[in-house]
Amino acid sequence: MAYYVNRNVKMTWWERSYIPEILRGMYITSRHFFLNLFGFIPFFLGRKKEREIFTVYYPEEMVKYPPAYRGRPVLALNENGHPACVACGLCEIACPAYCIHIDPGCNSGKQNEIERWPEKFDIDYAVCIFCGNCEEACPEEAIFMSDDCEISMLDRKKMRYTKEQLLVPVAELKDRIEFTRKMYAKWNY
Amino acid sequence: MITELLITLAKILFIIGVTVGFFAPILTWVERKQSAIMQDRIGANRADILGFTALGLFHAIADALKMFTKEDFIPEGANKILHTLSPIIAVIPAILTFAVVPFGGVYNLFGREVNLVISDLDVGLLFVFAIASIATYGYVIAGWSSNNNWSLLGSMRTASQMISYEVTMGLTIIGVLMVYGSMRLTEIGAIQEDFSRWGIFLQPLGFLMFLTAAIAENKRIPFDNPEAESEIVAGYFTEYSGLKFGMFFMSEFIEMVTISAIVTILFFGAWHIPFLTTATLLSWFEILGTTGANLLVMLIHVGVFFAKVIFFIWMQMTIRWTLPRFRYDQIMKLGWKILLPLSLTNVLVTGIVILMLH
Amino acid sequence: MELLIFYPLAGFSLMLALGVVMNKSPIGSALCLIGMMLGLAGIFALQQAHFIAILQVIIYAGAIMVLFMFVIMLLNLKGTDTKWRARERNTLLTVLTTFLALGVLYKVITVIFEFNLDSPAKVPDTFGTAAVIGETLFTDFVLPFEVASILLLAAMVGAVVLAKTKLD
Repeated sequence: MAYYVNRNVKMTWWERSYIPEILRGMYITSRHFFLNLFGFIPFFLGRKKEREIFTVYYPEEMVKYPPAYRGRPVLALNENGHPACVACGLCEIACPAYCIHIDPGCNSGKQNEIERWPEKFDIDYAVCIFCGNCEEACPEEAIFMSDDCEISMLDRKKMRYTKEQLLVPVAELKDRIEFTRKMYAKWNY
Repeated sequence: MITELLITLAKILFIIGVTVGFFAPILTWVERKQSAIMQDRIGANRADILGFTALGLFHAIADALKMFTKEDFIPEGANKILHTLSPIIAVIPAILTFAVVPFGGVYNLFGREVNLVISDLDVGLLFVFAIASIATYGYVIAGWSSNNNWSLLGSMRTASQMISYEVTMGLTIIGVLMVYGSMRLTEIGAIQEDFSRWGIFLQPLGFLMFLTAAIAENKRIPFDNPEAESEIVAGYFTEYSGLKFGMFFMSEFIEMVTISAIVTILFFGAWHIPFLTTATLLSWFEILGTTGANLLVMLIHVGVFFAKVIFFIWMQMTIRWTLPRFRYDQIMKLGWKILLPLSLTNVLVTGIVILMLH
Repeated sequence: MELLIFYPLAGFSLMLALGVVMNKSPIGSALCLIGMMLGLAGIFALQQAHFIAILQVIIYAGAIMVLFMFVIMLLNLKGTDTKWRARERNTLLTVLTTFLALGVLYKVITVIFEFNLDSPAKVPDTFGTAAVIGETLFTDFVLPFEVASILLLAAMVGAVVLAKTKLD
């Protein structure tokens, strides 16, 4: 998005004399100042809160991220309590940072058993770049970028999450699943 | 003799207490909080004692503690003596100006005339100006002695900027001098008991130019080129840490109080309330006796004076958080091509008007 | 009481004046000069000549010396600079300066011995106030004053012209 700034703006005499324009700017900022400073008074009197502050006290209050936000990738746990993953290894290949490690478990021929599942599924968050390629590559809607971004630790070894730590019930990922269906349908792969 | 000395000592303690003890720490908090409220944020409120945050007021204490305990770093190749000396040179003039600033009139307390000024100098106004010009050295030496290119650039900018704006400041002061016919700050304050003789009505252009020049002398935004963070790291105090950095910081805030006080005295009626003369106030409290009435009037006047000072501090803060920084050539252009001719014209017009009135 | 302030101030000024000459780095010399001027202003103030004291501070310490410092910093002279050091070997300059200094010293000493300390000259109370200085400047010494201002203006214009041609 190229945007050109016109630097040869002809200012009027009124604008060039600085003072009125400075006063205008100060009027705007001090209006905000007084509105925010005294805005809590009608609030205490039982009326609508006039303050315009939208700061969030972070550790105590959390913001709901939009569904497009790419936090740490997680595995979906379907309604039957099994991971939706079939250990095809596409995400392992798609990962540009090589942070996914899968050991597939295979059906030994018994009936009423799922075909394939991951025996081991590790994601090293110390290596992960949160690109979302794994999610895009996944044919089974099994891996998703969650809205969780708080994964700082004091030990690098703990950053390597195992399958049990990664699994998240599919109900919690509803927004993201819907979003990915919409997005990837649009892109027409 | 002893009583005189004690009264002077009390005044000195009062001024130092108010500026260094009250304004300097509280302004660090005000600056953060006001900028936050102006920008629809909440601002500093995390420092707490046993869970009480007191609107973030404890940040002032936390700041002071942090500055006391930080490492005092002197860079390699720096001039150790000058590097240590320059914060002191910077902070002393800021406090020293208050020696001639009256914060009240003359009151008759316990059969004694008490003048609420530490030193009633007959060249008080010029003293303020002289001290302002001395203040340059702290910053210039700081930048030079740090052995750092950014610091040197910062101190060069400081020197050139302060010299340029001192000219304007001196010429506006001349306009004020001509109007009041006195250089004694107490006298200038006393004349403004009459509301129609407030400096803002007699020297409106002078007020604007004085405020501009004073903010430029204090090196605050929009004139903060000497310490422009986005251009030259932190300018002259790049290599300063701990208490020495704190002293530079403190001198800036004290200078802000000084500017507000001088503007109040020169242009906004000093300690007087509009339309209320000291005699009227005294006659209201006649029941309390001479000393009682005087004491009450004194308190009212000191309160009014500091209320005005706080208003101007608020105004400077608002200017600081509203306007963007000037470019360096724009600062020089404003100083030499606009303010200097304007202030000369101001002196000329003032002289002509005074001649015509006499 | 007055002497109690005078002697430390005078000693301070003299020491800094020596420092101006003895200092090896130009910035150090400039700083000593500033300190000396402040001390001198203090002595003026001690004589109740507040106006002269303030002028001393504003003009010399506040304006001229800042420009000095500015120029020194712009050239960034260091104590180890060879050009600056070369001055030490110039014998002719040394001899001339020594003669000049000795001559001034001789004059000062003779004046001190001629001075009668028992009956100092009477100075009027108004000495050194703004009104008296202004009156003297604009009545008795108006011609020298104007000539000096024209000289300064000419110097300023000359400096501007010199700087301008260098830029092109």
